Amino acid sequence: MSSSRFTPRGFPRVPLQNGIGRYICQLKRVTLRFCKSSGSSRGIRDFIETDLVSFAQDHPGTALYLKPRRHKSPSFVAEYLNGEREVISCHNFTAQQMVKWLNLYTTRSGIPLMRYVKMWHTECPSIQGVWSPFTNKDPALNITQFPSEMLSRPVWEEKSATEELVEMINKQKISDENNDDIQKVQAAHV
Amino acid sequence: MSQLGRVKQWNTFARCWHLFDAAWQNPLECSPTIEKYLKGLNKPIYHPLVDCGDHVVVINSKQIAFPGEEWRRRAYFHHTGYSGGATWTPAWELHDRDPTMIFRKAVYHHMKGNLFRRVVMERLHIFSDSNVPEEVMENITNQIPPLRSIPKTLSSYSKEEIEKYPKIIDYPEDFILSKN
Amino acid sequence: MLTLRTTNRVLKVLKTAQKCEQSFHRWLAPTLRELKRRKDIQGPEKPVHRKTFLEWNYDTEIYAFSKRLGEEFNNDLLQQALTERSYIIREEERQKNVGIEQPTLNLSDNKELVSKGSDFIDDIVKRYLRTVLPRLPEEGIIGIHKYLTSIETLSHVSFHIGTSELILCAEFPVEKPTLSNVLKSIIAALIESSGDSRAALFVRDFIITQIADKDLHQFWEPEEPIKLLSEILARDGIQSPEPRLIGCSGKNTILACFRVGLYTPDNKRMIGLGFGETVDIAHEMAARDSLRQLFGTLDNILLPFNLKLDQLCASSVKNLFLNEWSQKTLPFRPTHFELRQAKEISSN
Repeated sequence: MSSSRFTPRGFPRVPLQNGIGRYICQLKRVTLRFCKSSGSSRGIRDFIETDLVSFAQDHPGTALYLKPRRHKSPSFVAEYLNGEREVISCHNFTAQQMVKWLNLYTTRSGIPLMRYVKMWHTECPSIQGVWSPFTNKDPALNITQFPSEMLSRPVWEEKSATEELVEMINKQKISDENNDDIQKVQAAHV
Repeated sequence: MSQLGRVKQWNTFARCWHLFDAAWQNPLECSPTIEKYLKGLNKPIYHPLVDCGDHVVVINSKQIAFPGEEWRRRAYFHHTGYSGGATWTPAWELHDRDPTMIFRKAVYHHMKGNLFRRVVMERLHIFSDSNVPEEVMENITNQIPPLRSIPKTLSSYSKEEIEKYPKIIDYPEDFILSKN
Repeated sequence: MLTLRTTNRVLKVLKTAQKCEQSFHRWLAPTLRELKRRKDIQGPEKPVHRKTFLEWNYDTEIYAFSKRLGEEFNNDLLQQALTERSYIIREEERQKNVGIEQPTLNLSDNKELVSKGSDFIDDIVKRYLRTVLPRLPEEGIIGIHKYLTSIETLSHVSFHIGTSELILCAEFPVEKPTLSNVLKSIIAALIESSGDSRAALFVRDFIITQIADKDLHQFWEPEEPIKLLSEILARDGIQSPEPRLIGCSGKNTILACFRVGLYTPDNKRMIGLGFGETVDIAHEMAARDSLRQLFGTLDNILLPFNLKLDQLCASSVKNLFLNEWSQKTLPFRPTHFELRQAKEISSN
């Protein structure tokens, strides 16, 4: 359960600022434990025959040990630079599955699996700074006397019937005056 | 945490005080707006588990407005817990008894009923008129705009304005405009 | 009598033929309880060294160690760097106890390498900081340098590159001073194996990156910032700044927050912004903020971790001390922003 209170939770972390300077593969040691005869180890035996050398060449920073154990279920132990150790059962794995699982464990940081509170994390604050209630606030509010006349109006005001009536009358008055003027001018011409 | 980190957090989570003038406002319409400020829903840092709400000071709650028949028809129910203890009080009667009660109930009932509701309600300060204590007034740094404009009453017009107002109809001779 | 015997026999057969109805073992829980009790009495298990495991090859581990770091080491030197004096003493005593009169061990300890590596780290860290932060006073450089070369930091780095199992020393688990000494000696071994420039890159990548994502003023905080700021500005011919309250919330409550801005009296320019629970704290933080701006150590700067040895300033170059710090006498050196840009151009 990801929301369980027994699961550790935290932010994505990286040990030793890995990657800021140079990248270190955090997997320091792998021990492959398998049986030379039993069927459940067949895939891991195939892996050892075909891909083990190339894996070791690709990851020179990882010490690799083989540990044949008679009639035991196969597994591999991944040990990390931060001291963590994980045992993975490879019962009935195919060689390809082995490649994939080893790839997963070489690319991990070794920090135990946890529920991420957020999928990203940074210690470095953004350039624009942290938001605060004062961000983008009008500084005029500092000297305003509350309650203020200006701020006591709704953001969007509808025109009242009274105001509309007054406006209509005013418009009519103006057009009447204009008509009067035109008539006067015409009379003068005649 | 470094010194800067501490004050940065203090600054981000600073509690603001907002003023709201309830004169001529419908409390049922206002409650979503008030709730937004009380819970901090207007902040980008909002999270249901983060205590980032602000204080709201409501003034003139005596002058709230209800539409239509609401004053008469709206009933507030209360039960004492004893048999026959149920009472239904009309809004006008409740408003007579305590002018802040209708506004408080409107905001309270609009909020979802959980354990935070009573905590959030503690940040709502309602005053029936504009006489607010000086130390509360000093905290206020912002004013929430009202939702409706305040209508102009006839008594607020000056005599000159009334005389200049355009005449639309002729009243019959026996029509009484006002007693004065 | 006969009937009794037969009934007994019949019952026995019936008993053995009876199926066990219980689906669990009654003995299991008491046994586990007893085992747990005995384990508790024994106390917690002692940690064992990895070398006691069957799958352990010291040569393989050493090879993997150098490959992991991406460095070419002289094998003898690396072996010497990982050998502590205490290990040699213990081994000699062990041989004497067995009966060998003159114990011979083909091992030499890392004492000289430690002092050499320590000097190198000190030099590179200081030069790097002075190059990257040319405006920061020398006191600040010393503070950050002290953090980077502390046993705490160095042992952390040393542990995370995987030295703790490879060190040959008497004590187990390996203590922090030993871990940090080994890191120093590894760097000295690297200087002798691949030269100064490779070793400088090593110091940069593993030690200096420890200040990435950290507030630089947590390592050094100037005392009495308001007084210091006015002194510094006086040296540049600017009058002491004027604090102004530019915002507050909940003034009469215990959760009050004040914001104070510092303005220069001449051209009314804002040089610092501070906030806090009281006006005094906000004023002090504003002074600290303007000092940060002067020293180029704002909390959101990105330090360049891409410089090479030949790009660093000389060891003799020093930053200005606080009592002589002035914008007029600042040495002309590129800022960290220019250094970052320079890298982008060269990489293209």
